[in-house]
Amino acid sequence: MNVTPARMRINPILILSGAMLLAAFSPTAFAQNPKLDMRNLEPLSKKASEVVDVNLDGPLLKLASKFMAEDNDSEDRDALGITKNLKGIYVKNFEFDKPGEYSQADVEAIRKQLQSPAWSRIVTARSKHEGETTEIYLMTAGDGGTVLGMAILNAEPQELTVVNIVGPIDIDKLSSLEGKMGIPRMGDKEKDSPKKATIQHEETK
Amino acid sequence: MKKRSKVLAGGCLLFVLLPLLVAPAVAGDAEFQTLVDRVSTYYQKRPMPFMGLLSFAANRFNLHGVKNLKLAIFEDVDSSRTPSAREFDAFLQGLVGSSYQPFVRVFDNHSGEQTFIYVRECDKNYDMLIVSLERTEAVIIKMRVDPDAMGDWVDDPVSKGRHSAQSGAVGAVSQKSN
Repeated sequence: MNVTPARMRINPILILSGAMLLAAFSPTAFAQNPKLDMRNLEPLSKKASEVVDVNLDGPLLKLASKFMAEDNDSEDRDALGITKNLKGIYVKNFEFDKPGEYSQADVEAIRKQLQSPAWSRIVTARSKHEGETTEIYLMTAGDGGTVLGMAILNAEPQELTVVNIVGPIDIDKLSSLEGKMGIPRMGDKEKDSPKKATIQHEETK
Repeated sequence: MKKRSKVLAGGCLLFVLLPLLVAPAVAGDAEFQTLVDRVSTYYQKRPMPFMGLLSFAANRFNLHGVKNLKLAIFEDVDSSRTPSAREFDAFLQGLVGSSYQPFVRVFDNHSGEQTFIYVRECDKNYDMLIVSLERTEAVIIKMRVDPDAMGDWVDDPVSKGRHSAQSGAVGAVSQKSN
């Protein structure tokens, strides 16, 4: 079988396309998405007494920024600093009738998406008294500096909340978003005494 | 001749008002009508009459940033016919397409209430589609809200969503108006 030189010639466009396809479908590429797939939590909807699902992106997020810009409140100004560059805020909240109606295995569906190297768990706060755990995860760009997204898992005996913020975030101003746009208030743990609450900063980077 | 004109005028008026009296406010809104038809199919029931008139009257006023109100209420529905949340949400998303975005969804498994709120930007305002399926009642609302009114929703969507699940979409409208 004769192979002509033309046939043997390597087409650079073909190689580039192939490389792009490979990159696009590699496991790392899937893991790089700062937007979590919350559909994995769907089975919990049947166990929960109430499910609240909030999606805030696109024009609604722009509107939120506009209102904060018009507000003179300093907390709102901080919140504006965060929201103006965000791409989306997604909140999923489950309330249960009694403790033990969901397990850690249920939460694994989300935790599996929050793995290194893309994601780093930066804070774990546990309140033994309340039986409450809050984990904060950050996704950073390859340069290690730019924050691309954040996930907050707040697990209480009768309530589970997942907050996913997509876009660059100033961590120092994060608390200004509490109680706004569907993000629950989680600052009460800070008021707990050291005996009640344990906050571990897990700088894994 | 005068009497004939009066009869003719009365007939025209009746012709104009009759659809408003008997139908939900559907003119020129295929999405809303499709939604009403689908809910009718689920419950094997037509929506309450006079909703068109109510919407017509409400639209004469700008109720705290709400306009173009369209409303359909289904009373005494058979809750066993209520579709599953997943099924109905999939239908809604298919109906409204990518122009609307899902904003708030609240499911209360105790009361069986499901509330779906979809929003789209429209000429500096926002079109809001609210569907509340309760144990004995189903409510469909479409309305256009101005940015100020929408801002209230964006600021605290969870309690607004919860409120609408507890008191029905009509409650959500009145709350928003306050």
